[in-house]
Amino acid sequence: MTEEIIRGKAKLVRIDDIDTDQIFHQSLLTIHKPEEIKPHIFGNLEGFENFGKENNSNKILVVGKNFGKGSTRQQAVTGFLAHKIKAIVGESFGPIYYSNAVNEGLLLIEVPNLSGFEIESDDELEIDIGQSVIFNKTKGIKIKCNKIPQPVLDIINAGGLLKLGGKF
Amino acid sequence: MNGFTFIEKIIKSHSDASVEEIYPGNIVWINLDLVTARDYAGPQVVDLFQNNYPGSKVFDNQKIIFTPDCYPYGNDPKHAIDQEKIRFFAKEHNIKVTDLGSGIGSHLIFRRGFAKPGDIAFGADSHYNILGALGILGQGAGDVMLAFSMKTGKSWIKIPETIKVNLKGKYVWPTSSKDLALYVLKKLHEFGITGKAIEFYGEIISELSIEERVTLCSLITEASGMIGFVLPDKITKEYYERLGIEIEIFSADKNANYSEEITIDIDNLGLYIACPPHPHNVKPIEEVLGTPISSIVVGSCTNGSASDIHEVAKVLEGKKINTEVRFGIVPATREDFIDINANRDMTIILEAGGNFFGAGCSTCAKGQYGLTGGETAVTLTTGNRNTQGKIGPADVYLASPAVAAATAIEGKIARPRVGEE
Repeated sequence: MTEEIIRGKAKLVRIDDIDTDQIFHQSLLTIHKPEEIKPHIFGNLEGFENFGKENNSNKILVVGKNFGKGSTRQQAVTGFLAHKIKAIVGESFGPIYYSNAVNEGLLLIEVPNLSGFEIESDDELEIDIGQSVIFNKTKGIKIKCNKIPQPVLDIINAGGLLKLGGKF
Repeated sequence: MNGFTFIEKIIKSHSDASVEEIYPGNIVWINLDLVTARDYAGPQVVDLFQNNYPGSKVFDNQKIIFTPDCYPYGNDPKHAIDQEKIRFFAKEHNIKVTDLGSGIGSHLIFRRGFAKPGDIAFGADSHYNILGALGILGQGAGDVMLAFSMKTGKSWIKIPETIKVNLKGKYVWPTSSKDLALYVLKKLHEFGITGKAIEFYGEIISELSIEERVTLCSLITEASGMIGFVLPDKITKEYYERLGIEIEIFSADKNANYSEEITIDIDNLGLYIACPPHPHNVKPIEEVLGTPISSIVVGSCTNGSASDIHEVAKVLEGKKINTEVRFGIVPATREDFIDINANRDMTIILEAGGNFFGAGCSTCAKGQYGLTGGETAVTLTTGNRNTQGKIGPADVYLASPAVAAATAIEGKIARPRVGEE
């Protein structure tokens, strides 16, 4: 069950148009297991090549516009779940990435005008799902996020789309 | 009452949702006409299906196809084992496989008539939305969605806003639909179309072949859009008639709600190239003329059709490819191979020093990595993605088949010319 309030420290990767090939490169596509995907996350993103080896457990990843554009690559979602990332906050997401994340139970939060919202690395963030608000406790500032549609919450709360397969 | 856009009409006809529930932003369940997977993602889809639904049948084995096209020859043990997994599963469930050398799944869907205008097709390919060129709602989907869809025949979809894009004016050779697609990508990326659907209009549309429309629609993904549609018309109808399939022509409602309407002036459009490090970094060719190129690949779902290869032959006829350049052609499908063999294009290109490789996705999915690769090979492809590091460590440019051929002769980015100088 998704908590109504999600808390975590910020991990910043505030770059626009990050392609799934920068998250999990196509030369690795015979890798299927979450723990084996994990060390390769952002392996092809300049400046973040070490992300895969860092401990970012329970953090909230903060990204830019069009995050996850590009290929239909489930591993680019699975890897963040393996890292125990609590949610990804971005200005917008590639449409296929958004769907892949929901289906596997990774929460994505869309925030229009996120680029103007001050967040530093390791700031304490709180996401209020019900109120659609993100609170940066360290800085004492708030910003509205898009409301998460109920069907999306239902899929995430069910533990992912595959759990609903018996219902149809 | 408001009418519906093209995508809203397709979604409505595939959903149990009421008329009131069909509006942008709402999420509805839809019934799929076709679910496919390929050699990347396909093996995980099989694993997820078997682990989550042990002993289950698929929802309808006539509505599922496996299309190995990324790494079609499975020429290393890991890929070979992954492909074998697909074949075993397909055999067990009596599912069609378009195997070795058949070509790119998204192209086979229209070349072999596996889906028709108004249908919804999901596959493990972010360029499945090229099917919008035929009025098919094609969508890329990840492993989880596809495993679920193979079990249930269903998917959820967030109804997108639709933008009406009017293309104003016409262009002449050597400008092609690739230059159009690149220019439109540049404009739409600047405009911002994340997650949105596009309907293309303009007098140019009725002059574009199905293959040219596919090229145009193939770069919507690179602007983070959901899909671009060319509404079915006489050209679409004739295309399907040749396959022996009758289709119904339908369009958006006259009183449909568009979130935006924009006009892009394409009159006398020049030549365009996507420069590193992003597909949307599109520049007029003048800014990069003379850039040395050592590896050229003609192929992909964007520009791997027989008509694209014909453009190459037209420019290469009677000329020689520069000895500093490796020039590879990967036809999109076996049907394209047959076409270029029938009309001498293949011979012309071979005589000029070009190389042909088996039909498939070319370098886009790494299956034919050696065509680019190395540490320093600066590549120019007719594909759709030049994200830094994707198909090789060095820079990658995206251009039309005619520009690719001209560049092959010069060994540097060049304008296409035909015949004697």
